[in-house]
Amino acid sequence: MEYSNQRPPQNYSQMDDQKTLDLEESVSETIMRDLRMIAFKLKYVLIPKEQEDNGKELRNWDLWGPLIFCLVLAMTLSFKAESTTTSTKSDVFAIIFVLIWVGAFIVTLNAQLLGGKVSFFQSVCLLGYCVFPINIEAIIIAFFGSYLPFVVKLIPVLLCFAWSAYSSVGFMASLVPPHKKKLAVYPVFLFYLFLSWFSLIV
Amino acid sequence: MQNFGSNDDLDEKGHVMTEQPKIKVKFEPKPKPSACPICTVEYYQKFFDIEQRDVYMRVRCSLLSWKPEFQQCVAKNPDLWGPLWISTTIIFILFAGGNLSRFLLEEDKKHFQYEYNYMYVAVFLVYAMAFVIPIILGVIMKYILKSELGVFDIVCMYGYSLSVYIFVLILCIIPYNEAQWFFLMSGLANSTIFLLVNLWDFIKKSKPALMIAIPIIVFNVALILCFKFYFFRLIYAVDD
Repeated sequence: MEYSNQRPPQNYSQMDDQKTLDLEESVSETIMRDLRMIAFKLKYVLIPKEQEDNGKELRNWDLWGPLIFCLVLAMTLSFKAESTTTSTKSDVFAIIFVLIWVGAFIVTLNAQLLGGKVSFFQSVCLLGYCVFPINIEAIIIAFFGSYLPFVVKLIPVLLCFAWSAYSSVGFMASLVPPHKKKLAVYPVFLFYLFLSWFSLIV
Repeated sequence: MQNFGSNDDLDEKGHVMTEQPKIKVKFEPKPKPSACPICTVEYYQKFFDIEQRDVYMRVRCSLLSWKPEFQQCVAKNPDLWGPLWISTTIIFILFAGGNLSRFLLEEDKKHFQYEYNYMYVAVFLVYAMAFVIPIILGVIMKYILKSELGVFDIVCMYGYSLSVYIFVLILCIIPYNEAQWFFLMSGLANSTIFLLVNLWDFIKKSKPALMIAIPIIVFNVALILCFKFYFFRLIYAVDD
C-alpha cells in the first residue's frame, strides 16, 4: 500500500531519535554546532565565491550571528568611548544597538516597499552578517588607534566599509526590479557608512 | 448490480479510473480587509513606485527652486522614498558634520569629546520637519482649506525641499561664521522659495490660504536657526 500523503513511519522514529540526541548532547556540542553554523554562513555571505546557488543558503536565516556581531561592535565602541562619565558609554552602546536593528529593519522595509519579494528576516540576517567586517575594523582601531595617525586609521575603515557594502549590495540589488536598484542599494550604503563612521570617531 | 464502469474506464494497469472533475477549483483565501489600512505595507507600496531617474528629476526640480515645475515632475505620483532617505542623509551629515566642525575649531584636539546628543536632536528635528509638520499642514490644507493636493503630496514636496540642505550642511563644516551663515541663508531661500512657488496656485486663492505661507516660512527659518545655533555653533574662547 502506498503512502501518498503521509511520510513513511520510519521517518517519525528517525525524527524522535534526532530529538533525543539533541537533548542528550552536551552543552558544548550544541554551542559548537551553532558556532559552526554561524561561521559557515559568515563565509558564505562575505566571500562571494562561495555563493554558487544565488543566495539560497540564506533561506536558513538565523539571528544569532547578527546579534553576536551587534553586541560585540556595541561593546567594543562603548568600551573605547572616552568619557568622564559613564553616560557617554551607555549612549554609544544604545545608539549602535538601536542603529543596527532599526537600520536593518528600515533598509529591509525599503526593499519590500520598492517591490522586492524577500522574506523580512532573510534580509535582516544578511545585513547583520555583513556587519562583521565593521566589527574587525572597530577592534583594530580600538587596540591600535591611539598609535596611528588619522590617515592610516582611515584605510582599514574604508576597506571594511567597502567589503560590507559590496557583500550586501549584490543580494539587495537582486531583490528589486532593475530600474529601482539604486533606490534599494543607497540605504544599505548609508547604513554601513553610519556604522563605519562610528568606529572611526570613537 | 454495481457498475464498476465500462472497459473504457480502465487505465493501462487495469485499475478502475474514477472520474476526475474537469474544472479545477483553486482555493484562494480572500484577502481579509485590514482593520487599519494605513498600517499595512501594501498601502505604502504605491508611494515607492518610482525609478531612480524620477528621484533624480525631482531633486533637480527642487534645486532649481524658482521654477514651479514640481507638480509636473511628480505627475500625480508622490513618493515617500525621497523624503525618507533625504532626511536620513541630513541626519547623518548633521551628526558627523556638526561634530567635525567643532573638532576643527577645537584647540585641544587630543581630548576632543564627541557629542552624541547631536544624534537624538538631529533625528527629532529632521523627522519633525520632514514628516510631522507637512502632515499637519497637509491635513489643514486638505480638510479645512479644501486644497486639491493630498497630504502625501505635501509630505513629498517638503521632503524634496530639504534636499538642498544636503549640500548646504556639508559646506557648513567649514568653520567660519560668515561662511556658515551665507550657506544656511541660501539654503533657506532655496527651500522656502521652492515651497511657496509650487504652492502658489493654492495660496493665491483666498486669504486663509495665504495664511499658510506664514507657518511655512516660520518653520523653515526655525530650522536653520536650530542648525546654526545647535549643530554648527561657534565656540568662543572664555576668558577666565
